[in-house]
Amino acid sequence: MKASLTRIGAVTNKEFKHLLRDVRTLAAVVLLPVIQLLLFAYAISFDVDNVPTMVIDYDKTPASSEYVRAYDASSFFKVVAHGDTLNQVDTAFDANTARVAVVIPAGFGETIAAGDKAQVAVLIDGSEPNSAKISQAYSVALNQLYDQSMTKSWAASQGLDLSGIGALEPRVRTWYNPERNSTIFLIPGLMAVIIAIVTVQQTAVTLVRERALGTEEQLLVSPMRRTELMVGKLLPWTLIAFIDVVMVILLGMAVFGVPLRGTPLVLALGSALFVFASLGMGLLISAVAPSAETANIMALMIAFLPSFLLSGLAFPLDQIPVVLQWFSGIFPARYMVTISRGVFLKGSGFAELWPELLTLAGYALVMVLVAARLYGRKARA
Amino acid sequence: MQSTSPGTSAISARGLHKSFGTTEAVIDLDLDVATGAVYGLLGPDGAGKSTLIRMIATVLTPDAGAAEVFGHSVTDQRGKVTPRIGYMSQRFSMYPDLSVAENLEFFATVRGVSRADRNSRAKSLLESMGLAEFANRQAQHLSGGMKQKLMLASTLMHSPDLLLLDEPTTGVDPVSRREFWRILAGLHREGRTVLVATPYMDEAERCTHIAFLDRGRIRQSGTPEQIKAQVPGRLLEVASAEPRRTLAAVVALPGVDSAHLFGDLVRVLWTGAADPIEALTAGLGGTDASLTVRTANIDMETVFAYLAENAPADAAAVSS
Repeated sequence: MKASLTRIGAVTNKEFKHLLRDVRTLAAVVLLPVIQLLLFAYAISFDVDNVPTMVIDYDKTPASSEYVRAYDASSFFKVVAHGDTLNQVDTAFDANTARVAVVIPAGFGETIAAGDKAQVAVLIDGSEPNSAKISQAYSVALNQLYDQSMTKSWAASQGLDLSGIGALEPRVRTWYNPERNSTIFLIPGLMAVIIAIVTVQQTAVTLVRERALGTEEQLLVSPMRRTELMVGKLLPWTLIAFIDVVMVILLGMAVFGVPLRGTPLVLALGSALFVFASLGMGLLISAVAPSAETANIMALMIAFLPSFLLSGLAFPLDQIPVVLQWFSGIFPARYMVTISRGVFLKGSGFAELWPELLTLAGYALVMVLVAARLYGRKARA
Repeated sequence: MQSTSPGTSAISARGLHKSFGTTEAVIDLDLDVATGAVYGLLGPDGAGKSTLIRMIATVLTPDAGAAEVFGHSVTDQRGKVTPRIGYMSQRFSMYPDLSVAENLEFFATVRGVSRADRNSRAKSLLESMGLAEFANRQAQHLSGGMKQKLMLASTLMHSPDLLLLDEPTTGVDPVSRREFWRILAGLHREGRTVLVATPYMDEAERCTHIAFLDRGRIRQSGTPEQIKAQVPGRLLEVASAEPRRTLAAVVALPGVDSAHLFGDLVRVLWTGAADPIEALTAGLGGTDASLTVRTANIDMETVFAYLAENAPADAAAVSS
């Protein structure tokens, strides 16, 4: 037992030396998470506002001007241009100077004055589906509101009192993230992706490297066991992954105001299990990959992309095809994203998150054992 | 060191066989290396030297056959074999970004050498090999010869009884090669057994035993003297102004077994009954006034050239 710990210690010590002498890798594992966090939080926001809007007013009456002001007044639309013909919409959409166009037909004012239903055309650039969808929803809502206020003012002008008429007014409240701020939603999930990248990518090349250097043979003639080598290699990366996690959490809370509503203990346990599962996955790649290049690409394919696309980080899992939903189950990132969001945003604890924690624990164990097994089979062949 | 009484077997292999795909690297090979021997494995690239050494070093599993190191199986008792062997692979296999001292420290630690022994052995090994002043230099910045010495030092840190060295001097300058063999001679005096592969025929002279490998099989084995004794006759060197013409003339003479160019000299293997110096001087005389004939010692180069020419058909391709 003591001899075993000595060997593991020697490997860990050596791995730290490799890392400290490799400035590029060191910079990558420390700076990458921060850069990614800033990128996601600032650049890759899913929030939509100030959508450039073009107005083509064929009516040119006080009624149409008032209608246009409703768009200008909302923070969602920003009227950037006024046009005279529909052709200008095409040009503006092509040049990306506008994403939404509001076309008010001639006779708009007259129709309203007559108490009839007036029609306006709202054209939306659908090439960016997310903002197109939201633009559509906003313009429908805006028109409904405008419709209501017009009805009221029309009734008042006719001397009618509408206050006696029953009406349904929905009061919608969003829980956990009331402003529906996508940064707050993204950062807890981002934590999982950052851990996956740092750990899987780096450990993926570590055993391949021993083989490429020829040092693997020297280790084979020593009494060191395969699992000792793996554990020794995992420890430094576990520490670095934890530093990254803490860094992302602190940045997320301090700079972006992400709330931490649950117990940090559950988050720490979840992170630890996820780190081990990811490292195990990296070792598995390392054990089977013939070269460092292959290991890198495999790490990208099975760690980065799935944890990005199939974890629920960017796209809700219940909105992706069923087959992909099953597929996402074999990558540990989705469990971590659930745990992270649960703890951060919903204040969930062991009672709610034990299935995910248990899955990650099993995953980590299986990965390291399978990696040790496959690594051993590859040697001495 | 344990049980190093002379005469007991350090390596005993029977029917070792290993193929890679369709290539048979080692074929039904038997090998016996006595404790205390410096056993040279000679042969061209691809002869199977590395494969044989790697199987004995436990890092490669044979397809068939068995090998024992100090009486322990290299396949079923690896744990008993590895503490007593030091294996040096053909290619440089230390961590390039670790220093000389750190490499020694790491490999000795995983091999279970105590801290006190690690420090004292690293110090004395580095000093005896002239590496002391480079202890803190990263391995990647060492010269070829120094790299080989670092590898040898690393294989000696746990004081093994048997050294398995796979072409330790290939690609190393002549001075470093001599230096390396001086260190091996010291290890031999300490009673350690050495199995060393080399493509250099001159290094065979420094071995107590040699085996010549070609295409997976041992073609010849024995002491250097026994091997040399297989060459009949005497070796002579003929110096002349025009060696090529002399060579053409020499092979036609009766009593000459074979002849070849050796630098500016013509080397002649004489199996005739007459005195070779007289016969050759007489046979070639008159054509060249500067012609001189003298006897030379048969060296390994000549032995393997002879053996190659007189080998069975399937072992014809022998080179140095």
